[in-house]
Amino acid sequence: MFEKSLYELIRGLRSHKGSEKEYIADSIKECRKEIRTNDMDLKSTALMKLTYLEMFGHDMSWASFNVLEVMSSPKYRHKRTAYLAAVQSFRRDTDVLVLAENQLKKDISSPTPTVISLPLGAIPHVINPSMANSLLTDLLPRLTHSHASIRKKTVVTLYRLALVYPETLRPAWPKIKERLQDDNEDPSVTAAIVNVVCELGWRRPQDFLPLAPRLFDLLVEGGNNWMAIKLIKLFATLTPLEPRLIKKLLPPLTKIIRETGAMSLLYECINGIIQGGILDAVEGTTEGEEVARLCVGKLRGMMVIEGDANLKYVALLAFDKIVRSHPKLVSQQQDVILDCIDDPDISIRMRALDLVVGMVNSDNLTAIVGRLMRQLRNAPIASTTDDPANDRGRLSGPVPYGDSDDEDAEETLRQHQRSNVPPPLPEDYRLNVIQRILDMCSRETYANITDFDWYIDVLTQLVRVSPSTKSSSSGDDEDLESTDDVGRSIGRELQNVAVRVKSVRPEAVDAAQALVLIDRRDQMFPASGNGGLNVLEYAGWLVGEYANYLTQPEPVMTSLLHPASVQLPPMTLAVYLQAIPKVFASMSGDDQISWTPERKTLMTLLMARIIHFLDPLSTHPSLEVQERAVEYLELLRLAAEAASGAAPGDAHGDFTDPPLLLTQAIPALFTGAELNPVAPGAQRKVPIPDDLDLDTPINPNLHSLLAQAEYEGFETEEDDVYAAYSEPVTSYTSVTSPAPTISASERLDAPHKEPSSYQNAVEEEYLDPDILARRKAERKERYKDDPFYIDPEGGQGSSGAVTPLGSIVRAGNEEVDIDAIPIMALELEHSRGTPTGEYMGRSRSPRRAPKRVEIMGDETLGPGEPNATDGREDIIAPSSRQVGGKGKKSLLEVDSSGLGSLSLDDESSGRKLTKLDIERREQEEAEMKKALMEVERLRLEMQRASQRLEAKGEVTVKKKKKKVRKVEIEGEAPESTAHVGEAEAEAEAGADADKRVKKKKKKKPKTDDAGEGNAAEGAAEAEEGVVKKKKKKRRQVVMDEGEPAVEA
Amino acid sequence: MINAVLVFNNAGQPRLTKFYTQLETSVQQRLISEIFTLVSNRANSACNFLPLPPLLANSSKSSTPTTPHNDTPSLVTYRHYATLYFIIISTSTESPLALLDLIQVFVQALDGLFENVCELDLIFNFEVLHATLGEIIVGGVVVETQLDKVVQGVKAQGKVAKRPVNESKSGLSLGGFGRGDASVWSGR
Repeated sequence: MFEKSLYELIRGLRSHKGSEKEYIADSIKECRKEIRTNDMDLKSTALMKLTYLEMFGHDMSWASFNVLEVMSSPKYRHKRTAYLAAVQSFRRDTDVLVLAENQLKKDISSPTPTVISLPLGAIPHVINPSMANSLLTDLLPRLTHSHASIRKKTVVTLYRLALVYPETLRPAWPKIKERLQDDNEDPSVTAAIVNVVCELGWRRPQDFLPLAPRLFDLLVEGGNNWMAIKLIKLFATLTPLEPRLIKKLLPPLTKIIRETGAMSLLYECINGIIQGGILDAVEGTTEGEEVARLCVGKLRGMMVIEGDANLKYVALLAFDKIVRSHPKLVSQQQDVILDCIDDPDISIRMRALDLVVGMVNSDNLTAIVGRLMRQLRNAPIASTTDDPANDRGRLSGPVPYGDSDDEDAEETLRQHQRSNVPPPLPEDYRLNVIQRILDMCSRETYANITDFDWYIDVLTQLVRVSPSTKSSSSGDDEDLESTDDVGRSIGRELQNVAVRVKSVRPEAVDAAQALVLIDRRDQMFPASGNGGLNVLEYAGWLVGEYANYLTQPEPVMTSLLHPASVQLPPMTLAVYLQAIPKVFASMSGDDQISWTPERKTLMTLLMARIIHFLDPLSTHPSLEVQERAVEYLELLRLAAEAASGAAPGDAHGDFTDPPLLLTQAIPALFTGAELNPVAPGAQRKVPIPDDLDLDTPINPNLHSLLAQAEYEGFETEEDDVYAAYSEPVTSYTSVTSPAPTISASERLDAPHKEPSSYQNAVEEEYLDPDILARRKAERKERYKDDPFYIDPEGGQGSSGAVTPLGSIVRAGNEEVDIDAIPIMALELEHSRGTPTGEYMGRSRSPRRAPKRVEIMGDETLGPGEPNATDGREDIIAPSSRQVGGKGKKSLLEVDSSGLGSLSLDDESSGRKLTKLDIERREQEEAEMKKALMEVERLRLEMQRASQRLEAKGEVTVKKKKKKVRKVEIEGEAPESTAHVGEAEAEAEAGADADKRVKKKKKKKPKTDDAGEGNAAEGAAEAEEGVVKKKKKKRRQVVMDEGEPAVEA
Repeated sequence: MINAVLVFNNAGQPRLTKFYTQLETSVQQRLISEIFTLVSNRANSACNFLPLPPLLANSSKSSTPTTPHNDTPSLVTYRHYATLYFIIISTSTESPLALLDLIQVFVQALDGLFENVCELDLIFNFEVLHATLGEIIVGGVVVETQLDKVVQGVKAQGKVAKRPVNESKSGLSLGGFGRGDASVWSGR
């Protein structure tokens, strides 16, 4: 059989242009064969080829066992291949890992340094807690290996062990520290240790304070820039804990800033001064001013230096960290920072944007927003996915085109022909800019805005430049995406301004009107993006709520009723439905206009159009839309009837009153108290009136009253008048929604949801036996078909009329309806101008912007909620709430939280103590051994004794055996002290011990839980946690024993 | 710490993938292609820091944007040499400028090993590529930044195979790349 080397595989790939897939499939097939042979060379080559192909996404998990086979080869070359394959292909679920353990142990203990390096490099990739536990003992001696390269790798490998198995640090840390303290240690090893210490440092800074002198020496000695950077970063986490360090650190840091030639080191020095709080600590002193000037000056230098975008980027990062604490220092650099907003590089723009949001004030707001708006307007809307050439993800699968790059691969100094024209703004950047603009403008209840007309124009413009949202999300009525949609955010702002700033309300309504008008749709929402379309939800609300401000109510009405409106998202459509009667009321409700024939025709026509629009919507799939459509449909039918009934006055002269239903009843539905912004939680603060008595029933005779009402309900049902009134409604809604058909009596029936026995008892008091019997039968009938029966009287009103099919639909509907109730309640709140989260943080007292524009603050009682101040977050980080909390781990993330709970026993005399610890542990182990022997002796004794006993005795023996095994298991656990005591006591305790063991077993997990709970409380308390854990164990032993622990 | 090191060429074909966490192969490929999409759209004069690719961005937004959790990968640093992109994904605890330097060390080490290294060297010697990386980074933590020690470490593992004879030869030409590498590195 012809076999290929890796070289030939790659050559082959390169020569099979266009048919790589087949070639690869063949090659993998070959590899499968080769890897099963007994020839180690062949196996290893196959493995290497597979590893190469794995890089392109070709699965090789099936070969994991073969990886182990090759790993066990004595040849270094094979081992190297196998270790690489293991690192690249083993996943969390690779089950052969347990088998690898012995091989790893063997190779760690190898006499050849290069062989030791292999497991050292591989272990971090494949480690799990149990493996860590068993490999630890083999790794520790490698810390003192004669080769520096082994020592440094071991340090890092131990760190990765500690991440999954924090106990690692207990024995390892003293040794690592010893290495660090050793002046004669190889600088590479020292640097590696510093790297690890830095990684550990931000988790548990307090443990590393004792090391500060040594670390400081290392920093001053210098030599290795990478290490110096790490040290500075570590010190930045230490200074908050030990303020005295600041004085010590300042001279060397300023020295480095002035002298170093390495930009990275210089930058990290400045960064360290900023992050370590050194700037704050020395503030006010001449020295502090000098430092601040030096830092800011250097940062400015980084910004203006020509041609290095990286420095610009990191300088912005650094500025961003001080913008909150030292706004003055940053605002001095406003000119260079603002230039970065227009930088061709998106990364830099993003950073500048972050920074600018922090810098904004009423003086520069207009300029900054103007700059951003210009950007949005002038750049073409395009997203990265629009360019298929760059979207490798769209290809059917990753394919190694080994040959497509022949020319490239040999090219050395390829001149990049890519133009320097700024790329079109990516979508997420666009969204980000819009959100930032809204955030900047609305901050602190519009404290920075001086000109609200301007702001409304900005908002209108923003709608036009909104990028298209993912079209899939706009159609369905899940309102999960509601919070982060730009259209909605803009709409909320518009609504907010209209509600809060009375003086610009007409303008705001004008803007909303322009948005709603259908014939201007193309102009307001350019075809390039439909993302702003959700603004209509709020614009629709505005034209409805402030219909009297409308300059062109007729066109607005036409737009609302336009057939295209039906295509809008359900939420928007629902808002439209609410707006329609409001606009209608404003158009028809004027009682100063004579009810002339023309007027009558006009109104009738208008109502007919509305009814025509609403009618099909009464079967809309969205319940929200459906309900509103049905309600207003009925209302308008009534109004239409009233209008047609009212005889018009003669055309000339005399004033005739229009129908009251149009001028009074319908407008009264929508006018009343004006809407004002209300602070979140304000309602909770409304004091309960002293005379409010919620305990005494309002009417002690309620039950009989209700029952009577219900009884009357039966009779009226047969009543012709009632039936005539309600029938059209029933016929038309019974299939879809029973809600509007509920009669008054039924509504009163609610209390009957109470337990039936109670109900019956009441009924029996006032109902004749025959009626009771009939009711019972009826109830039974109803219950029969409906397992989800909820409203006892729900089906009654139409029980005669409903077809079997209808009742099934209704049964289903009832279920849905009940779910829909809370949604409706929320929606009410929504359209009342308190979108969720929007007003949070507005609990401060009303503010006045410059130019004395009155902005309404939130209405609230008493002091504002302190925790509500960050409520604006929904605009800063819109999706932050959606992604479920901090619980979700990022891809690639290595979780080091386990370390937080581990104390490093880091007292000043740490080493001695740990030595003591070790001694103690050894002693404990010896004791344990003794105890186990004792147990064993007792067991044998008892066994012998029991053999002499009768059949009755044998039972006890069995029990005893069980018990002893348990004790042994416990004895083997790592934390020994407690268990030694237990074991010994157990042994002493004799025959009745069985019960106690069980008791202990039960209690043990509890203690562990408690211990872990303590540990989880975080880094700060972790130390105590551990101590507590131990203490608890001890105490518990005592408790369990009841009698003092023997021989302890 | 460093979460991943990637090398791919101008066409997005991977030349080295090293993830310091265990990740499904398909996810690895998606991440590579996302980063490639980001990186290939960048102008030459742009800075060497990428916005987070969608795969990483989604999960990292769970914490506030200004102070990402220290364990979360939040920094994507890249460098472009001739036909190859070198990418390091790391947490915010790493220094961005220092990572750029680290990539430079990596490439210089390869150059030292292959003498005027080019993409073909790396294609045919991908084991050496891994070995070199293994001398610089172990388990996501940097163990060595001294050029000579890295080269020495790789050489100790065995002879570095030279390029196949028939392949034409031309290097990544380190000197001509990047901007002001020498000035950035004068302190080393």
